[in-house]
Amino acid sequence: MSKKNRERKYGSGEVASGGAETTKFYWILGAVAVLGVGIVGYSVGSKALSPTVSEPIEMAGLDDPDELMQVARGVMKGDPNAPITIIEFADFQCPGCGGFATQVGPLLDAEFVETGKAKFLYYDFPLVSMHNHAFLAARASHCAEDQEKFWPYHDILYRTQPRWSTVQNPASLFEDYAEDLGLNEDEFSGCLKSDRHADVVTANMQLGYQLQIQGTPTIMVTKGQGVGRRVTATLEGIREGIALLQSGE
Amino acid sequence: MVVAVLALMGVFVALYLLAHSMGLIPLVCGVWSCDTVQSSQWAKVGQVPVPLIGVAGYGSLLVLALLGIQPFWKDSRGIGLLMLGLATVGVAYTAFLTYLEAAVIQAWCVWCVTSAVLMTLIFLASLPEVGRAVQRR
Repeated sequence: MSKKNRERKYGSGEVASGGAETTKFYWILGAVAVLGVGIVGYSVGSKALSPTVSEPIEMAGLDDPDELMQVARGVMKGDPNAPITIIEFADFQCPGCGGFATQVGPLLDAEFVETGKAKFLYYDFPLVSMHNHAFLAARASHCAEDQEKFWPYHDILYRTQPRWSTVQNPASLFEDYAEDLGLNEDEFSGCLKSDRHADVVTANMQLGYQLQIQGTPTIMVTKGQGVGRRVTATLEGIREGIALLQSGE
Repeated sequence: MVVAVLALMGVFVALYLLAHSMGLIPLVCGVWSCDTVQSSQWAKVGQVPVPLIGVAGYGSLLVLALLGIQPFWKDSRGIGLLMLGLATVGVAYTAFLTYLEAAVIQAWCVWCVTSAVLMTLIFLASLPEVGRAVQRR
């Protein structure tokens, strides 16, 4: 294209003044690109180098009850509007919790949860000083929760507890269980091999400490917003606790 | 030019969210509820993660914006209108996602809000294309 034609098409002044402006624009665009690549690259790179998180993490502000309650959360089963709430603080690697989940759990479901009399709320309380895989198991259960399979995964973890508790690294077994349940394997593995949900599990543990929970399973029953009444972790103990709540004692 | 810079920012925000949805990184989220939003049923359209749609959308806007400032395309009415059309679809979809956060999921993700703000700014910055298109007729 001749100079004359180019000037006719773009305007001579536009070419001259546009040049400086365009250069400035490309500098800004380049700076944004470098910053973006840096931030995303650093996040992915540092994560790739960091190991699977299998113990509580440092979290600031959990001493503040309001902040704690923003992070801590239990996983619920049953009718959210049920008048009674049965709360469990449990550790997937604790044999007592395994016994409770496999023997008492189905009876509780049939008598209270499935009939709408009570809802069940499960909080993590891994006893990390004695159960080396408990924290990772709790995280794995939340990874399954991401795919709406918390409860089936909870059941599998307790049923298979004697197996994964004794291996050196249970991550591949946890992945096998996810596969058995038909979960998206890549998504589950990505979650497990990261620090995802470490904040929730850590906060749930902190909540347990604040409630002065000493061991697992700890079962509480509550009505409305009241403080939970601790009961024995048996069907009879829970029946008795609920009966006392209903009679207003 | 403004659209190009904003679209590039959008590409990186969407890439960051995509890396999280693939389980590669945790999200820096503060007191917001990013995990609640990202693990909700609305975080995917079928099997496609929403952040991937974001990468494609912002990427297309970036390409159009860069084409629009090249001498050959500078006077093209089509590029400007295509960009405006895409920005309109983008802002409508973003508004829908923001509604879901507010009314359905009832949780907020700071990166989704950032994306919504970027897309709204891109839409506003694309509006003068209507005037330019009319002038070029």
